[in-house]
Amino acid sequence: MTEADRAAAGPGENFARVPFALFSDPATFARERDVLFRGPTWNYLGLEVEIPKPGDYLLGYVGDVQVVVNRTPAGGIAAFENSCAHRGAQLVRRTRGNAAQHAHTCPYHQWRFDTAGALLSVPQEHGVKGKGGMPADFDKRRHSLRTLRVETYKGLIFGTCAPEMPSLYDYLGPKIRPEIDRIFDRPIVVLGYWRQAVPANWKLYLENVKDPYHASLLHLYHTTFGIYRATMAGRVLMDDTCGHSVLRTADIGENPTEMKALYKDIDKYRPGYKLKDPSLFETKPDYDDRVTNMIMTVFPNLMLGQVASTFQTRHVRPKGVDGFELYWTYLGFASDDAAAREGRLRQANFVGPAGYISLEDGEAGRLVQRGTHGLGDRASVVEMGGDGAIADQDTLATEVAVRGFWKRYHELMRPAP
Amino acid sequence: MNDRAKAATLPAGSLDADPALGADMRAAIERFLIEYARCLDEDRLEAWPNFFLDDGCYQVLSRENVEHGLPAPIIYHYSRGMIEDRVTSLRDALTYEPVYTRHMVSNVYIVGVEAGVYRVISNYALYQTTIEGRTDLYSVGRCEDAIVVRDGRLKFKTRTVIADTFAVKNNMALPI
Repeated sequence: MTEADRAAAGPGENFARVPFALFSDPATFARERDVLFRGPTWNYLGLEVEIPKPGDYLLGYVGDVQVVVNRTPAGGIAAFENSCAHRGAQLVRRTRGNAAQHAHTCPYHQWRFDTAGALLSVPQEHGVKGKGGMPADFDKRRHSLRTLRVETYKGLIFGTCAPEMPSLYDYLGPKIRPEIDRIFDRPIVVLGYWRQAVPANWKLYLENVKDPYHASLLHLYHTTFGIYRATMAGRVLMDDTCGHSVLRTADIGENPTEMKALYKDIDKYRPGYKLKDPSLFETKPDYDDRVTNMIMTVFPNLMLGQVASTFQTRHVRPKGVDGFELYWTYLGFASDDAAAREGRLRQANFVGPAGYISLEDGEAGRLVQRGTHGLGDRASVVEMGGDGAIADQDTLATEVAVRGFWKRYHELMRPAP
Repeated sequence: MNDRAKAATLPAGSLDADPALGADMRAAIERFLIEYARCLDEDRLEAWPNFFLDDGCYQVLSRENVEHGLPAPIIYHYSRGMIEDRVTSLRDALTYEPVYTRHMVSNVYIVGVEAGVYRVISNYALYQTTIEGRTDLYSVGRCEDAIVVRDGRLKFKTRTVIADTFAVKNNMALPI
């Protein structure tokens, strides 16, 4: 059996065994582009606040394909592949900007497109001095850029390449929407972006953010400083497809004695560990629900969440079979006063490329990519929380949402019968 | 204007020719920057906080954010205590890839001195070498520093690293 065969076989009946080949097989990566990212999924493209004015645009990704997301003159949002309808050159070269003045002009032959992707003009269309030019039947209307269907929910922009997709509202569903509502019911502001070039397959990051089991074991900061402990009240929720998930942790019902017993032989909980400057913990809670950590994922590759007083989207952008860019958009609220804003900048020390918590997740991805290399005949064991029905659980000692991800992944990826 | 914003808006074109700035001081500043790099490259992390004032600030910014006027820092350690906490975490707590580091410091440019604070810009290239001896260019960028003399020794009031390599290679555990 080749590595490709093993990858195609998928993660088994109960999704508790994931073939390592899925993290390294180039054919799987190519198929993900076609049937997953460009298939029946809604892909995160950005935030409405990032493109407030007509003509504003940003570069986003559907899988590893670059797309341009535009605010149109009428105030709507349009997205198209960043590839000229002529010879395929990259059309837009800046990550953000405004095209109201000059439209989108291809640098190669100066073909111009409007913010909705319609071809406006072709230099020398009718030739020069009566010679050359496009054929007489060349119709600019038939050479628009390839567009995506775009919908928004609470200021989050998504696009799909599958025209018959159900609405984004229904795609998110009744268990995911409330978590978005909780954060996005007040105006947000973008405080910055971070990028990490992680040397791991993109799915390893999705496994990571669907795995509440690791969070209290890999991350000493979480555990020791009470952002996230195995003994906190925790819940794992999934939508009907099991592709989206919510991991919620609240500091309710904790018992220090239980903590000590649980971490008896583990070095990651140190009640005696003190910071010389603990002032970065001095933020006021943004909600009264005592939620200290909320990690939500929208299938296939968006994570949105809260860690302490930080809020962020993390877009997992595949860059080949063995690498991805983790693209962070770090958020604040428009209503933040100076102290709240400063608190969010201080707590940037928890998250992002250098964050005391998040830097370890990049390393976890590297470790698994490295550790599974060349071992495509083996598979991971995903049984924490049981290997039975994939359903919501009221515990953090579970990997059930990882199995949920693989279930949805396999439904879309498995070869047609 | 906070320190992050200030760091990004140092005046361009100020002459590095202030006669009050003697050759000795220029040499001392260059030596200080080299000593800092040596400290990190020789894995003497416990000595790293000594380069800062008690209320000193070490921060790393993404060039992308600086150019868009966005404040989110990659690292923002605004006291010597926090810098010491980073060292403790790196030594005892954090899980990250073990690597050797090699800093190249160049283009040291003393912008000027005001009220005893020297404004200094320099470039850096930071290589990382794995335990199997493979070397990658990890990060390049510039440092915009505010340096003072305290008890006869140079110290950073602020060290602001602005990384051109804002797509951070995996993660940023060790200081730049």
